[in-house]
Amino acid sequence: MPGADPRAGAIYDLGYRTYDGPRLGRRAAILALYTFTLRGAFGIGRRTSAKIVPLVVAAFAFIPALIQLGVAALLGSRIEIIAPWNYLGYSEVPVALFCAGVAPDIFGRDLRYRTLSLYFSRALLRSDYAIAKTAAFVTALAVLTLGPLLLLTIGNGLASDDLPGYLADHWREFPQSLAAGLVIAAVAGCGSLAIAAHAPRRAYATVGVAAWFLVTLPLAGILVEIGGEIGRFAAWFSPFDLLYGAALAIFGHTPGADSIQARADLPLFSYLLLAVAHFAAAALLILRRFQRVQA
Amino acid sequence: MNPDIARLTARTLLGQRRTILVVLLALLPVAIALLYRFAAPADADPERFAARALLGGIVTTTILPLVTLIFATGAFGQDIEDGTAVYLLATPVPRRDIVLARFLVAWAASLAALLPAAVAAGLIVLGGSGPGIVAGFAVGIAAGSFVYAAAFTWLSIATSRALVAGLLYVFLWEGTLSGLFSGIRFLSIRQYATGIAGAFFDLPASVFQPRLEPAPAAVLAALAAALMLLLAVRRLQRWEAGEAA
Repeated sequence: MPGADPRAGAIYDLGYRTYDGPRLGRRAAILALYTFTLRGAFGIGRRTSAKIVPLVVAAFAFIPALIQLGVAALLGSRIEIIAPWNYLGYSEVPVALFCAGVAPDIFGRDLRYRTLSLYFSRALLRSDYAIAKTAAFVTALAVLTLGPLLLLTIGNGLASDDLPGYLADHWREFPQSLAAGLVIAAVAGCGSLAIAAHAPRRAYATVGVAAWFLVTLPLAGILVEIGGEIGRFAAWFSPFDLLYGAALAIFGHTPGADSIQARADLPLFSYLLLAVAHFAAAALLILRRFQRVQA
Repeated sequence: MNPDIARLTARTLLGQRRTILVVLLALLPVAIALLYRFAAPADADPERFAARALLGGIVTTTILPLVTLIFATGAFGQDIEDGTAVYLLATPVPRRDIVLARFLVAWAASLAALLPAAVAAGLIVLGGSGPGIVAGFAVGIAAGSFVYAAAFTWLSIATSRALVAGLLYVFLWEGTLSGLFSGIRFLSIRQYATGIAGAFFDLPASVFQPRLEPAPAAVLAALAAALMLLLAVRRLQRWEAGEAA
């Protein structure tokens, strides 16, 4: 077979076209990533087996509020009103399990399958990617903390005989509930994402997040009991106790005598400061991870 | 029971990085016990601390289920997640033997991590006194990790998200819901473990009181373990290659 003449090459017009439609830019990319991640956190738009864990945990967050609403509808004013800070104390359990179950998937898939380069080759900055994903996860957690409180408020309002009187008595709790719910969602969400971003395998990330929430809880209880002057500061570093303390600080409610916040005897506002410090440290860790990670 | 599969499973578990984390987790009670020894307030009651806060507290409620969960899902789930389970299932080894071998290795690994640390921690706190507390909880932990390992082996065959499903069971069902509905104590592996431990000591209710009597706890634990193993074997027998993940 005679060699092809190298000069006989030709360029064919294959009909490639450049895109000349509107370019939505960075802001739209961030928004798209945010909504995509938020839907993914609840398994919307994903296969059925990915929906089970988030929806079961979300159901647990809502069930007591739904029961309260149903009982209020049946019995009227004879029921006991659940205080929002008590409900937030309960909500922390579903929040922790949602973090353990869902946080590993927020960054995990992109880290594992090396799809980050696809994101970073677009208008999105590395920090935009991290912020959009984190904000979406925090929003998903805020649904778990604030949604039931909203239902609870409706239930308590219906249970009281005069609704205007109830609103007049409790209007101050609405901004407080909003703030406390957001603090819990932000600290729990950023903290668990900071752990998950450093553990691409889902199993490690789940174990890490679960350990952060669930091992520190009894540990802090023990340290506060026997650790004396130094041990009581452990209450700052167990997320359950930290966030419940922060919620109490926001509502200005003194903790019950046998709660760890009362036994540790630290000023309540310090929990709020430590919550902010946790949030800042976790957010910095996430940003740093995505500045450095190889796309 | 198949020695080769048992050996391979043991090697998988030992070779994983998470095993180091698990061992650190299991050693936590020893650190707490040392701290108690050196820093406890003078009026502290060592029996109450050992039974309620340490062995009946953090060890049985958190460390025992977490360590067993990690080992049991590591023994089976890893294989399924990586898609290598098919090669094992294609061999003429009966699937019942595969399940039993993996389950026994997961249980043995959990015991190796949990028991020495728990016994050492109990002895450090009690200093030889407190008859039966350490022995009771050692037996309780061994029985508890047996049932937990059986349950989590089944979970890791039945679902691809066994780790999260196990966490939901341990912390939502046993942790939160059993506090609200006391009937759940009959369906809680944690209560079986503490109930069995309770056979070995008799402490006043203000110190430590298991929520189940020893006899029903032991019977229920045996039933639960048998049921979980049956389900696990059955699930694997019906497993079709290509169904993975």
